[in-house]
Amino acid sequence: MIDDTRTVPQRLVAFLPNLRRFAISLCRSPEFADDLVQAACERAIRSADSFAPDSRFDAWMFRILRNLWIDHLRRAKTAGPHQDLDEAGDIPGPDGQAVSHARLDLLEVTAALMKLPEEQREVLVLVCVEDLSYRETADVLSIPIGTVMSRLARARKNLARLTGIEAGDERSSGTKGGLA
Amino acid sequence: MTREEFDDETLMAFADGELDPATSERLETALASDEALAARLAVFLDSRRTVADALKPLINDAVPPHLVESVGRMIERAEREAGRDLRSGSPDNVVALQQQHRRLEPQRWFMRVAAGLVAVVAGVTGFAIGRSTDDAGSTSDVNLAAALDSQASGQDVPLSTGSVLHVISTFRDERGALCREYQLNDRENSTLTIACRRDGEWLPRLALTSPQPADGYVPASSQETVDAFLASIHAGAPLSAEEERAALAGGGGNISGQGE
Repeated sequence: MIDDTRTVPQRLVAFLPNLRRFAISLCRSPEFADDLVQAACERAIRSADSFAPDSRFDAWMFRILRNLWIDHLRRAKTAGPHQDLDEAGDIPGPDGQAVSHARLDLLEVTAALMKLPEEQREVLVLVCVEDLSYRETADVLSIPIGTVMSRLARARKNLARLTGIEAGDERSSGTKGGLA
Repeated sequence: MTREEFDDETLMAFADGELDPATSERLETALASDEALAARLAVFLDSRRTVADALKPLINDAVPPHLVESVGRMIERAEREAGRDLRSGSPDNVVALQQQHRRLEPQRWFMRVAAGLVAVVAGVTGFAIGRSTDDAGSTSDVNLAAALDSQASGQDVPLSTGSVLHVISTFRDERGALCREYQLNDRENSTLTIACRRDGEWLPRLALTSPQPADGYVPASSQETVDAFLASIHAGAPLSAEEERAALAGGGGNISGQGE
């Protein structure tokens, strides 16, 4: 039971930074992320009744935003020539400060993240950035927990490969045979 | 003594603190003497920290004022609306809300709202989409089922019936069945359908018909129905062009992304 008597709109305002971070992680473009956040808020307000007050608000909001994003992806494919998402924009750092050595690494990580397939990136972000559990992530994405785990493991191995943080002695996939 | 094997998911769950105590204990014992295992575990520990370090700071980004304002206005309106509903005793005044949305800032990437009634046929599973054309059309004509079997998403394909097929996307439902979302346009109507393949047949699961809008898009009002439906069948992300090709060719059910 989560003790929070605030209404959906009230919570929404406080949650905007989280929602925006999630949106940027998904769609890689801050401007686009803002459109996505706005649409998600609109939908959340409209369907506020469907939010169970004792459930997790963050998971509920992530789910709404993520569904809008997936929906956009579906549609983007039909729109004919459109902006290539890979070129849609570099994620700016958290602030506009000078690029330090550490920042360079982060940019590299961000670039690698953006190369991951959509389904791998979203589990990665929900678990490693938003700190949702596997179960909560499964609920947000409406997929079985086993699928969350196999995607997440693949995502992290891919990321390790892309950023060169991978371990010296890597055995491919251990005992697991097939993919999900 | 045979050495116990731990797969990637187990190592990852351990790194994320989600592994059950009994397995954790066995894994810890094994880690003490197995460097390769420790190296594999490190991938999962490091990757989590790396991703967190890279993206968590985004939360300190100032939310653009226009976004805050626009959400604020939305909330205000919703609350006004809610107050009115309470008084009038109608709990969910959908119509009024929709009228309001017309005044919202344009959502660049949403389909434009078009007026028009939408007929909904959900849960249609009783018939399969015909594969044979009775009237043999010209050679360039294709019947719908065959087109769904072969055509890539994003193209306009004229059918023997005179309508034009436009496949929007291909995805898998919860059970892994291959599904396609497509639009059939003729002079008067536009029908948006989601059909899934079972035993070689395309079975429509949802169909929405609306009068042909000027811009060729299904009105946004039907979009919500589609969204709700897709969520209900746990539709996966759209397949990439390559995955789609493989899936249509009847190739394996591998829906993994890159790598491995």
